[in-house]
Amino acid sequence: MSTAIVIGSGLAGLTAALRLDEAGFDTTIVTMGLGGLQLSQGTIDVLGYAPERVDNPLEAAGTRQDPHPYAVTGTAALAEGIDWIQRTLPDLLHGDGEHNVALPSVVGAMRPTALYQPSMASGILRDGLDLSIVGIRQYKDFYPELIAGNLERQMTPDGGRVSARACWIDFEVRDGECDSSAVTFARALDRDEGVRRLAWALAKIPGAGPIGLPAVLGLKTPNVHERLRELVGREVFEIPGLPPSIPGMRLNEALRALCTRRRIRLVQGAKVIGFDAADSRVSSIRTHAAGRDVDYPADVIIYAGGGFESGALEVTSHGRVRESIFGLPLITPDGALVHGDYWGEEQPLFSVGVRTGSDMRACTEDGHVVYENLCVAGSLLAGSSRWDEKSGEGIALASAVAAVATASSMKEDQ
Amino acid sequence: MSENALEFAGHTLSRASLDCCVKCTICETQCPVLEATPLFPGPKYVGPQAERFRNGASVDASVDLCSMCGTCTLVCPQGVKIAELNTQAIAVAKADHMPLRDRLISNTQLMGAAMHPVAPVANAALQVKPLRVAIEKTVGIHRDAPMPHAPTQSLRGWLRRRDEPVAPAAGSRGPVIFFHGCAGSNFEVDASKKAIEVLEFLGYTVTVPKQGCCGQAAKSNGLFESAAKQTLQLCDQLIAAGAQLGEDGDEIPIVGVAGSCAGMMKHEAREVMGITDERLVNVSSRMREFTEFVAELLDSGDFPTELLRPMPDTVLPYHQSCQVKSQYIGQPAIRVMEAIPGVTVKESGRACCGMAGTYGLKKEKYDIAQAMGKPLFDFIQDENPAIAVCEAEPCRWHIRKGSGAKAVHPSQVLHHAFGLSDDLFDRNVIS
Repeated sequence: MSTAIVIGSGLAGLTAALRLDEAGFDTTIVTMGLGGLQLSQGTIDVLGYAPERVDNPLEAAGTRQDPHPYAVTGTAALAEGIDWIQRTLPDLLHGDGEHNVALPSVVGAMRPTALYQPSMASGILRDGLDLSIVGIRQYKDFYPELIAGNLERQMTPDGGRVSARACWIDFEVRDGECDSSAVTFARALDRDEGVRRLAWALAKIPGAGPIGLPAVLGLKTPNVHERLRELVGREVFEIPGLPPSIPGMRLNEALRALCTRRRIRLVQGAKVIGFDAADSRVSSIRTHAAGRDVDYPADVIIYAGGGFESGALEVTSHGRVRESIFGLPLITPDGALVHGDYWGEEQPLFSVGVRTGSDMRACTEDGHVVYENLCVAGSLLAGSSRWDEKSGEGIALASAVAAVATASSMKEDQ
Repeated sequence: MSENALEFAGHTLSRASLDCCVKCTICETQCPVLEATPLFPGPKYVGPQAERFRNGASVDASVDLCSMCGTCTLVCPQGVKIAELNTQAIAVAKADHMPLRDRLISNTQLMGAAMHPVAPVANAALQVKPLRVAIEKTVGIHRDAPMPHAPTQSLRGWLRRRDEPVAPAAGSRGPVIFFHGCAGSNFEVDASKKAIEVLEFLGYTVTVPKQGCCGQAAKSNGLFESAAKQTLQLCDQLIAAGAQLGEDGDEIPIVGVAGSCAGMMKHEAREVMGITDERLVNVSSRMREFTEFVAELLDSGDFPTELLRPMPDTVLPYHQSCQVKSQYIGQPAIRVMEAIPGVTVKESGRACCGMAGTYGLKKEKYDIAQAMGKPLFDFIQDENPAIAVCEAEPCRWHIRKGSGAKAVHPSQVLHHAFGLSDDLFDRNVIS
């Protein structure tokens, strides 16, 4: 049986691992931390701005120019990635790749995204919506006045307006704790007793339209928002905010549980510290386990280690950017990588990343493949500022699909 | 090696990682203590944040509620040594007023030695409520805390009296040195015996040297000086046992059945207490969890899978102890046990059972430990109330008492599957 190693356990890594497993590989994930997915908003952003607001993200992705990751993967891989994640998590992700919706962000921006969780659906912004944004006094980092005020100031994608009022409730989930974390709230709302207490507090909220709450509506129990709607008699939705992100945790835990069920091996805490290569193939990667180094041999390797935020890309003390495990070739813009204008143009540094061909194998500027059996996926790829254009999850899915396609073709060649 | 292990606390290794914290909150979402009690502000606060203010002093008593299970370090994407920082801070905070209780419970060898000769009496005495209340009031060990069950015969006693090693199923695979830990010698003797016999059945020649405590309990109670001494004494014993086996003796694998003790020897002694002695480096690199070692054989394709008796429709609830998780080896026990036809392993998904070595014994932490264990106990009762599998001994005591299931080591499951015994589900055979 062909063996595959996936480095990294964010959305790109987990997607690659599950698809490798579906393709018949004996798959092992090697990951240092818990992966970045639970820090995300729990939505699938495909392409929000290009640079104007995008209505059809799949179509707009097709117009991206090289070296943007979508120009590399092609839109077929992106469409398959979107389709796959919806097939895989049908109860957790609604929407489609051809329509962006606008969801309120935690500062009251109208954030475009393609797939969203059902618990966010009644907050999709459209003309005439009458919203009550509700803060919880025992939960920090959620300011309904800021959200409601900013929402009223903007035009909805359909050219209309929403009205939004700010309200506050008391909802203590642990005795005497005045600033419980999102996870503590979510665990309390996994129990019906907690949902009933929250519903009771929400009964006094003025208005008849949807109620927007911080995204804490249950971690393990699905559809807490539906139960609240039943009890309160109004639509209820959640607004993702600062980490810890409960919607992000739901996605992360659902995909990890699937990996466990399929017996994909997951080696947690293991930093990749080196590798062995011969004849332009990586034969094994070396990780740091407790007390010793462990080598994992593999037929194919999919490297989804993240970008700067995880240390897969790093800036040396000489100001040079490098990829930290394999020393892969990067695309680096000319000129200064960082400018001093905080609110100005996007920093060029953030588009730096690994150069690949359409098969996701890292390659040099003249197209020479570095390692035949090493593919790259996710935030490591060059050519886009994901948070600026809102494309992180779409790129992760598309590149993981394309990378696994290459891995499968190599397997058939054997 | 640091002459004064406590002096090392709060410095160099762990402290160097502190600035890598980006406040992502991942550790907070996974911390089992924070889940169980609002009294603990969480690993991010008591770890990298509070550490900035310590400067050798103690700034916040709440760090003492950390169970040192290591989950935070395990899940940190930035490599911050959170649990290590906490362990060091606790040691510093307790240095001038170490409770007698913490000195007693970390003396695991003494406990075992004292209970053996009088095992039936000692076992019975620990069931006597007024006595346990008195112990709680005087020493601080909670009256309901799970206690080990002392068998009448220790592992050494069994080794002296046994006739022959188990005959290998096939050819010889060479020598291994067996590391049983204190509990594996004095309390969880059945798991040790069966691990030895499974290794022999697989073709290994098993040497069981006389061995002292690894220092894990002393370390986690903040007694770094005595812990460091114990760690290196154990290194000497294990290295000497290898030397007697021949010139390559310092390359012979050391296979352990005590999850937390293997973790101590593999990395905690170095990362928490700063021991860099080459004897420890040698032992660390050879130390293998029993399941890790067997899984390597399984992966090599040289494991006698065909000799495993089927266990039809058997669900085995499995909890990987926190200190085995922290060895960064994945979950080898799952594929080892699922090599047995008919076995489905259900993994608990819980970070820590709550016992965390000696944490769950302490009267002021007992309720927190029970709250941490509750979801695990419920999981076991839902999946298979008869049996649960776990690699660390104190966790098994906690699981036995909390869930009512017979808690066993994976070696006992393999022993049964290889047809070497038939008492896997016999509740009377516990140690």
